[in-house]
Amino acid sequence: MEIQLKLYGSSKILSDKDILNIQLPNNSNIRKLRDTLTKIISEKYSKSNLKNLPKTAAFFSEKDEVINDSYKLSNKEFISIIPPIGGG
Amino acid sequence: MSLHAALVKVEEEKISSEKAKKFIASERNGAESIFVGKVRNENDGKKVVAVTYDAHDQAVIKSFQSICNNARNKFDKNAKIFLEHAKGYAPVGEISILIAVGSGHRDEAFKICRYILEEVKHQSPIWKKEHYIDGKDEWLPGHSLRPKKEIK
Repeated sequence: MEIQLKLYGSSKILSDKDILNIQLPNNSNIRKLRDTLTKIISEKYSKSNLKNLPKTAAFFSEKDEVINDSYKLSNKEFISIIPPIGGG
Repeated sequence: MSLHAALVKVEEEKISSEKAKKFIASERNGAESIFVGKVRNENDGKKVVAVTYDAHDQAVIKSFQSICNNARNKFDKNAKIFLEHAKGYAPVGEISILIAVGSGHRDEAFKICRYILEEVKHQSPIWKKEHYIDGKDEWLPGHSLRPKKEIK
C-alpha cells in the first residue's frame, strides 16, 4: 500500500514537492510509518537535522486531528506530518 | 462579530495594527491590549535576514478559534479578539503575529493577550525557517504535538 504524506516545516527537506508518497506493507499503522521514515532518513538524509523527526513528529488525519501510533492506515490515505511546532 | 482569526500571506498582504484596532473598537471596552511580534535580526548569535513561516492552514485556523474561545470563557466572555499570524517569507521588521483584545477591564485584556500568545506557540501548527546573512537557512526546533506518553 501507499500513503501520501503531506510535508510541513522541517520535513519539507524530504522532498521538493509538498507530498511524499511512501510505500508501506498492507495494514500498516502510524508506528510502521515512523519506522519507515527512520529508515528513509538514515539512508538518504543522515547529514540533515532530521534524525529525531520520526520520534518527535505528530501525525494528522484528513480531519486535521492528531492520530496515535495504533491508527490503521488505508491505501492512498493523506496523512500530514507535524514536526515540533514553533510559531509566534 | 467578536472574533477575527487568520493566517496572512505576507508576501501579498501586510498584517495591520490599524485594521486590528478598528476590529476591536467598542464603547463597551475599558481597555485595549495589543501585542505585536516582529521578525528580529538576531537569534542565538546568528544574523537573521528573514523568516519563512510554514503552516497547516486548516488546523491553524481551528486552533486559533479554539484558543480565542477558551480565552473568552476563561477571562471575559464579551472580549473582542483579533488574531493574525504571518505565513510565507517575512524579512526582518515584518509583523509575525498580532493579537489585539478589547475588554471591559485592563487585567482581562492583558491576560487574554498573553494567554493567546502562549497557547499559539504550544498548539498551532506553525513552523519557522530562519534565513541568515551568510545565505544559509535552518528550520527551528519546537514543541512536539505527539502525545507525551508515546515518546520514549
